[in-house]
Amino acid sequence: MSKTLKGITLKGSAELVAEFFSFGINSILYQRGIYPAETFTRVTQYDMSLQLTTDAKLKNYLTNVISQLKEWLFDCTVQKLVVVITCLETNEVLERWQFDIECDKTAKEGSAPREKSIKAIQEEIRSVIRQITATVTFLPLLETACAFDLLIYTDKDLEVPEQWEESGPQLIDQSEEVRLRSFTTTIHKVNSMVAYKRTNST
Amino acid sequence: MDDMEDTTIFSTLKSFKSLISGPDHSLLETEPAYGRSDLQKLYTKRVELEEAAERVRSHTSLLQLTQEKQQMELSHKRARIELEKEAHSSSRDLQREIDRNRELLLKIRRLEEKEEKANQALNEQMENNKALKRNLEELHKKANEKDRKLTEADQMISELKDETRRLNQKIQIQESKFSTQNLEIQALQEQLDVQRKYELPCTQTHTELERRLALQEQDSVIVRNMKSEMVRLPELEREIKRLREENAFLRETKENNSLLKEETEGLRKKLERVERVMEEKLKAELEKEVNSYTHTEDSLTLSDLSREVIQIQQRELNLKQQNYTLNSSIRSVEKARAELLPEIAQMRAKAQEEQKKRENQDSLVRRMQKRVLLLTKERDGMRAILESYDSELATSEYSPQLMFRVKEAEDMLQKVQAHNTEMEVRTTLPIMHTKSFLQIPALGQEMTFYLYTCMCLFFRQKIEELEAERQRLEEQNNILEMRLERHNLQGDYDPVKTKVIHLQMNPTSIAKQQHADEVEQLRLECQLLRDRIRKIEAGGGVTTDDTTLIIPPSQEILDLRKQMESAELKNQRLKEVFQKKIQEFRTACYVLTGYQIDITVENQYRLTSVYAEHMEDSLLFKSTGPVGSGSMQLLETDFSRTLTGLVDLHLFHQKSIPVFLSAVTIELFSRQTVT
Repeated sequence: MSKTLKGITLKGSAELVAEFFSFGINSILYQRGIYPAETFTRVTQYDMSLQLTTDAKLKNYLTNVISQLKEWLFDCTVQKLVVVITCLETNEVLERWQFDIECDKTAKEGSAPREKSIKAIQEEIRSVIRQITATVTFLPLLETACAFDLLIYTDKDLEVPEQWEESGPQLIDQSEEVRLRSFTTTIHKVNSMVAYKRTNST
Repeated sequence: MDDMEDTTIFSTLKSFKSLISGPDHSLLETEPAYGRSDLQKLYTKRVELEEAAERVRSHTSLLQLTQEKQQMELSHKRARIELEKEAHSSSRDLQREIDRNRELLLKIRRLEEKEEKANQALNEQMENNKALKRNLEELHKKANEKDRKLTEADQMISELKDETRRLNQKIQIQESKFSTQNLEIQALQEQLDVQRKYELPCTQTHTELERRLALQEQDSVIVRNMKSEMVRLPELEREIKRLREENAFLRETKENNSLLKEETEGLRKKLERVERVMEEKLKAELEKEVNSYTHTEDSLTLSDLSREVIQIQQRELNLKQQNYTLNSSIRSVEKARAELLPEIAQMRAKAQEEQKKRENQDSLVRRMQKRVLLLTKERDGMRAILESYDSELATSEYSPQLMFRVKEAEDMLQKVQAHNTEMEVRTTLPIMHTKSFLQIPALGQEMTFYLYTCMCLFFRQKIEELEAERQRLEEQNNILEMRLERHNLQGDYDPVKTKVIHLQMNPTSIAKQQHADEVEQLRLECQLLRDRIRKIEAGGGVTTDDTTLIIPPSQEILDLRKQMESAELKNQRLKEVFQKKIQEFRTACYVLTGYQIDITVENQYRLTSVYAEHMEDSLLFKSTGPVGSGSMQLLETDFSRTLTGLVDLHLFHQKSIPVFLSAVTIELFSRQTVT
């Protein structure tokens, strides 16, 4: 709704960012081969074709997390979202896709919408997702079976809902980091980066 | 020697006699002179006699001594002779010993040579030993290597055996599977047969239906083709219309083209005509002009013509002169230009140089201005620092140094002033006074200037130190910011302000659990398999007391097992029955015929009679010829030697063994009953 109006409201910005995360996480899972490619289906979004999973359990999990994340984005209490990729055999963290979220707290619910066109935001999101796809070329191969987890960095005083629990940051031992593009809706700014475990051969 | 002794003895006797006679004479001759008393004469005689006795004694002693000497000499000679003999003998002994020494030396040399040879032989043998030891070691190494290879080969063999066992097991499994599948196939085939029986009447209707289907399909195909053709019809009609229109249009254009071509041809012809006309016109006009000219010239006279010619010639000359002048002027101008060009170049270079100088000087001016600005700023800064230092009343490190320097300056001042006053006192008043007055203010100024420079230097040092510290702190700050950035990239967070949460049921935990469960399951399976294998290896057969069986026992196997068991039971029973029967038969033979027949060796039968006197009495028969023919021969035994008569009678003449045997029993029976 807010997208059709002129300008971006807090709610609209939260929805845009949540949508981006939903497609971005799906892209990461598809590109890194965490789930087999045949469980993904092609959809069109942001004027490009992206992959979305058809696995029911995974979909359920993602919708749970993204819906909760949308609430927190609206409250401006979320600081980071991290996709952690772990090797099942050795229980080592191999990759960390980290998205820093900077929220402009002056934009409250009733304040005037900010002027930025949806198209510009979508253009920025498109370039970020393209870059995510491109980074796969230099990331080391994930040869073993891997699983992923979504971590959310929030304010310390946030009430932890049911079914959620505190966890460690799951950092990578000896990592290489690469900063990717960022996009902003003028209310939320999302910086992307990827950290991967340094392989001994390089 | 004796002669010498005799002669000495005689000589001594003579001398004795002479002595004896002599002293008498001498005594008599000398003594009368005196006529002394007889005592003196007696005394002198006694003295002479004593002297003679002493002489005799000495002579005797001499003689004894000479005898002793002779004896000594004799003994000496004997001793010498003996010594010579001993010397001879010792020399002989010496020679013998020398000879022996030589011989011993020779022997020693020979022995030494033998020793050397023996040593050489020893060394050679040692070397041989060493070589042999090396060979041994090499051989040991080879043996070890061969052992290793053997062990490796054994390992390989064991591995291959394991593999063969595994493969055999797999084969068995697959064979069982194959058999099960065969059974299934048979069942299915039976089902198929049953179904086929039911299908026969259906097939006919099926064929009819198929025929109808085929016809219908053909009809449908035809219908489809017709439909497609029908669909094409309107399109074809449209095409036809379009083509007709095109045709009409093309025809029109063709007509237009032809018309246009005719027009163009007409126009071309017109053009040609017009051009010819134009040319003719031009020619005509030219001729007219020429004619006009010629007409005008005819009207004029020759003088005019000449004047005109002269005028023209003059014009020509003028023009030529003008041309020459112009050429010369051009040349001069060119020369001047050529001369001017280098000058221009030089001037340009100079101008450029001067421009550069001006620019340099401008830049210098700017630098000087900047320096001036900087210096003024420094001065202002210094002044400000000074003021700030002056304004600060708190104890700092620098005030004592300042105070110290101030004190030094004041001391200097005082000294100088004292000096000055001295000078004043020494010299004449007015001149020195003025000089000292002049000196004092100058000194005062110098002191203040000195103070100022000292403080400036001090503050400059301080500023430099602070600037260095600032730079260091800036670098540290940059490094810390980089580290923060890096940590932020890696995902670090401030636990005071943020916390990390995730869903409890997240894919990673689910996957880890599944993985762990799988691993546990596999471990359990492995354990069970190992136990099973151990049991199989220990038992040596298929065990049926496992709770989880991999191969389900098929009906066939159970039937076969039952059959096997029944066959075994049958065998056992047959054996027992056979045993019993044989026993019965043997006892019956023994009782009825009177002989116990044992088969000791292949084809040899030992018969022992009921009535045998001793246990060892037995007859041995050997079967000759093919088995079952029944031809027997009697072999020699102790017992048979006692029955030679019966043997001759019954075997050689009558050639009947039963008669012989019965005769033997009768004989033995008779012997027994009698005794």
